[in-house]
Amino acid sequence: MMLQGVGKPSGCKLIRFTAVLEGQVIKEIQIRGDFFAIPEEVFEALEASLCGTSLDALEERFAQLARELDLALQGISGSGLAELVQTAYREGQTNNDTM
Amino acid sequence: MAHQCRLLRTGYNNAFHNMGLDQAILEQVAAGTVLPTLRFYGWQPAAISIGYFQGMQEEVDLSACHHHGVDTVRRITGGGAVFHQSEVTYSIVLPLTHPLADQNILASYGRLCQGIVKGLANLGVTAEFAPINDIVVGAKKISGNAQTRKLGCILQHGTILLDVDVDIMFTLLKVPSEKARGKAIADVKERVTSLSRILGRTVFFDEVSTALEQGFAEALDLNLVVEQPSAAELERVEDLARSRFASETWNLKR
Repeated sequence: MMLQGVGKPSGCKLIRFTAVLEGQVIKEIQIRGDFFAIPEEVFEALEASLCGTSLDALEERFAQLARELDLALQGISGSGLAELVQTAYREGQTNNDTM
Repeated sequence: MAHQCRLLRTGYNNAFHNMGLDQAILEQVAAGTVLPTLRFYGWQPAAISIGYFQGMQEEVDLSACHHHGVDTVRRITGGGAVFHQSEVTYSIVLPLTHPLADQNILASYGRLCQGIVKGLANLGVTAEFAPINDIVVGAKKISGNAQTRKLGCILQHGTILLDVDVDIMFTLLKVPSEKARGKAIADVKERVTSLSRILGRTVFFDEVSTALEQGFAEALDLNLVVEQPSAAELERVEDLARSRFASETWNLKR
């Protein structure tokens, strides 16, 4: 399923995402917004490495990758992104249930 | 002893040239062929720049920009969309080994932004740095700044608003819904100010850039050496403007 979301989780700037999920596992994700991540190009490696991550492991996996890739982040965090994605997923499930 | 620093006054150029020159300067400072550099510039035609991670088509109304003759470009720095119309823009590039280059990004913003705070003081405006990367007068933003680190250098660029036309800005930027447009305009009018509004008169690019040059020199203890962009930078900027900053591949990559 395709999932999209936008919001300003606590401590974050505006974050948007578009993801393709298989069950609760991310197959593809693009994260957009007015946050900072230095080096910028390395953030794209982080996005690619989130493929295969289940939604309940997203917060920790994002934080782990940011550490491993030595990314300096401002306005985005694993907890903020996970909150946004999980909320969009739950809302998508609810909408599907009521259709 | 004061730090030697090249000063470039490159005047008004289009968005693709402006972003290309900031990158070309970064590359040449990194190569050690030019001094650490402070540059002041403007935008002609007006432009919207978006942050590296933003989606162009979800942030910017491209057809409205085309209609109004406004350029659109993706920056190499993060942050949000900026409408460049009536402002002074600066960039500063330093090697990470430079005494003024804090390794900590937040500390680095704080230090480099003191040049703007001091420059505004030279115009009689009391401003202060507002972490992470803004400068405010009272509680209102007058300057936004963005930083990246590449090739062993810091590049920080930012804007100082001479005037601001929020109504036009929101014909060019997308808002979540038409219903939200009025609130978005009111919010920005409430949160953002400009030198013209504060000083109650028309404010000109040259007087502000001169005050800022002095501000950076004083706050960062710089010995500014006025130069022109090098031949290598001018050659590179043409290439970068064409192949990167004016290209759909770059601008629509997100």
